[in-house]
Amino acid sequence: MTVGIATAVWGGIVVLFGSGLLGLVYKGFDRKLAAHMQGRIGPPLRQPFYDVTKLMIKENIVPDHAVTWLFNGMPVVSLAAVATILFYLPLGGFAPLFSGYGDLILVLYLLAVPALAMIIGGFAAGSPYATVGAQREMVMLMSYEFPLAITLVSVAWRLATILPGAHTFSLAVIAAHPLWGMVGPLGVIGLVLLLISLLVVTPAELSKIPFDIPEAETEIAGGLLAEYSGRNLAMFYLADAVKMIVMSALVVALFIPYGIAAPLGLAGALGAFIDALFFLVKIFVVIFFTVIVVRVGFARLKVDQVARLFWLPMTAMALLGMIFLALDRIL
Amino acid sequence: MDSDKINLELGCTTCTTQTTYSVPIGPVHPALKEPIQFTFRLSGERIVGVDIKPGYAHRGIEYMGMKRNLIQVLYLAERICGICSISHPLALTQAVENAAGIEVPPRAQYIRTIIGELERIHSHLLWAGVAAHELGFDTLLHLVWKVREKVMDLLEQLTGNRVDYAIPIYGGVRRDIPDEKAGLAYEALSYYKNLLQDMINAFLHDKSVAMRTSNVGVLTYDDAVALCAVGPTARASGVKKDVRQDMPYLAYADMDIRAITPEDYGKPVVGDVFDNIVVRLLEVDQSIKIIEYCLEHMPGGELTSIPKVAALLAVLKKADGEGIGRHEAPRGEVFHYIRLEAGVEAPVAWKVKAPTYSNLMSWVPKFMGDEIADIPIIAASIDPCMCCLDRATLVDQGGGEAVKLKEELVKLSREKTRRMCG
Amino acid sequence: MIFATLIKQLLHKPATNPFPVKYMPKSVTGLLGKVARGEARINPPVPVPTDLRGKLTYDRDKCIGCQLCIKVCPANVIMFKPDEKKIRIHVARCTFCHQCVDICPTGALGLSNEFLLADTDRFSPNLIVE
Repeated sequence: MTVGIATAVWGGIVVLFGSGLLGLVYKGFDRKLAAHMQGRIGPPLRQPFYDVTKLMIKENIVPDHAVTWLFNGMPVVSLAAVATILFYLPLGGFAPLFSGYGDLILVLYLLAVPALAMIIGGFAAGSPYATVGAQREMVMLMSYEFPLAITLVSVAWRLATILPGAHTFSLAVIAAHPLWGMVGPLGVIGLVLLLISLLVVTPAELSKIPFDIPEAETEIAGGLLAEYSGRNLAMFYLADAVKMIVMSALVVALFIPYGIAAPLGLAGALGAFIDALFFLVKIFVVIFFTVIVVRVGFARLKVDQVARLFWLPMTAMALLGMIFLALDRIL
Repeated sequence: MDSDKINLELGCTTCTTQTTYSVPIGPVHPALKEPIQFTFRLSGERIVGVDIKPGYAHRGIEYMGMKRNLIQVLYLAERICGICSISHPLALTQAVENAAGIEVPPRAQYIRTIIGELERIHSHLLWAGVAAHELGFDTLLHLVWKVREKVMDLLEQLTGNRVDYAIPIYGGVRRDIPDEKAGLAYEALSYYKNLLQDMINAFLHDKSVAMRTSNVGVLTYDDAVALCAVGPTARASGVKKDVRQDMPYLAYADMDIRAITPEDYGKPVVGDVFDNIVVRLLEVDQSIKIIEYCLEHMPGGELTSIPKVAALLAVLKKADGEGIGRHEAPRGEVFHYIRLEAGVEAPVAWKVKAPTYSNLMSWVPKFMGDEIADIPIIAASIDPCMCCLDRATLVDQGGGEAVKLKEELVKLSREKTRRMCG
Repeated sequence: MIFATLIKQLLHKPATNPFPVKYMPKSVTGLLGKVARGEARINPPVPVPTDLRGKLTYDRDKCIGCQLCIKVCPANVIMFKPDEKKIRIHVARCTFCHQCVDICPTGALGLSNEFLLADTDRFSPNLIVE
């Protein structure tokens, strides 16, 4: 499994720009559908593109109290980290670009990097709102990482018990072998529990209502992002858009990696095209149910409530899912 | 905001290991709909102290009023607050009628009551939307404000204006509610009657709203009494206090009005933000019933005792004496004092006490012990109106600390009253 | 739960009245030009009651120059022209209380339900009634 330099570069460019565009398109859908659910018209679909363009040409203000290099560096780190995850995720019918060079554990680490970058950026901004936001983001990170890790590891472990010898921590392998058909009824229950906990972690990972406490507009005026403007804010905005794609692609890869080209009897370029389209639909469905509906249907929680939610019920649910998967193997 | 306020002031306050820091909220902040400055002392996310500094929205309205004739003052009073835009004129007209001895025909009293109660519906719905927004629940905000449009449309139909209705005049009202408009009112009322249960479900049976509002911003019964809280803020703490019940005026005397407390919803009184929502939603229901009663029992007769405005001006110019007017505004009791002198068109003295002025101090016990995340909803829970509240400003030409304590304020106020009354 | 309402609203037309157009046009003056040429259409505003207190109307011939309206106007909207004994109304300052209409002894002042009065120039002909 080696990747040619040229393939990697061209593939990388396609994935980067594609995901950026796609993220913004989905953000447009997010705003439009949320508006309609609230009985509003909402902005046009291309509004996120306007926003990014406008931010890019705006002045980049660095507060007097900020640690300049950290403050300016963190948006880049954040965007780079989420973009890097894309190289390890199977997208549609295509295998991950860097397949073989990193696995699920790397993805898990990379997922934490944007949050960490925002925390450091928030502290570096030197404003009390950003500091409070950074503290909250830290608590959030510590809360949702545990159920997330349990979910990812359980799936890979169960697959390892079924396919001994295979490199089951590789997302390409997981996506190629959906677990649903390979486990018994107990295993299916376990997988459902793990899926639910991953779906609940998704809005928290993306800092969306009810888990948008690090930004909490009415409380701390944007929190982490309070001092960011111009190009830096645009980069965080893009990182957020891409992260939305990343999280839902992860859910799709782990739990719904099915394609429709093969059952329909399509092959070749047409099949790949249909599968890619179907993949877009799948991530849209995941985004719709984990981000859009959730963010219009709930009030913002408080940081202690979020911590309690993830530490007790969500962790318990993920552990229960793991236990069911283990029982499924033993019995 | 000046930069040293933004700075984190990390420091030891109690000389123990615990450190507190202060966070300024305001004068301009997304949680605040009008300017006011809070400085919170925080220990982690918990509030251990709060300093409130109002005074950013002072417009010298009372002084302006003393330079105009009373009819112009009426429209100035309407603009003290955009949301209570009938409450201030109602209190002012009562004060002037009291001072000048002008009678108000019964039909006019009923029409004033109807408009006043319609305003209560719109104000409480507006508040509910704002409260939902402060909780990060924008969907509820949009739902409630969509529903609120109906009462705004009705007010526009009845008065010709969406806000600042310009309906009361000294001695009566300026527009009648004819039968076809009464039909529109009935239609709007039945719309709200059908929707009220939905709204109660959306607010009071929603898990995430309950999580954010239960036991948050608690104002106990004793605190509410001691701090002289008024309106829904006091009633949510179980204080049965309502001008309409205690000193009936206009058409309220014909009805049996009872102050609404959370007990009417069948829950024990806690005095938290949840109880504030309960009281305000139930008051919408109460207002619907009052308006229905008024529409059904509307007496016939004149709209005003002095129909000619020019004649009214002459009567007001001759009037001599002082009067008070009070009205239960959506946020609590609003009180106007006026002093007229014969031969002078402008009032000699005009004092306004808005409900937020009485409710201001109930913020302190409400904030204590709660979290940063609770600040917006607690700030909103008393339904503050800063431009109603700001009735004085201190111009300190010497510079330095401009904090006046009670004794000095009382002394300054007395001096000013003597100056005004010659 | 609120989710039933959400799905219902998702499938229905939004409550917002898209006045004057659904989205911000690239150029407002360009849009207005198109509307004038009949190439674009403006969504109508929400209907207003017939007795809306809108822009004042002034019947010059009925006016006797008594200046009562000037006396009661809370916003000093009305200017007296001594040589003609007529008035000029600056609608840009008007608060639409229509107290002047009530006090006018000859009925020279009246109300219309015209309310689209936004302008960039407070002395534009649309905002001066005389």
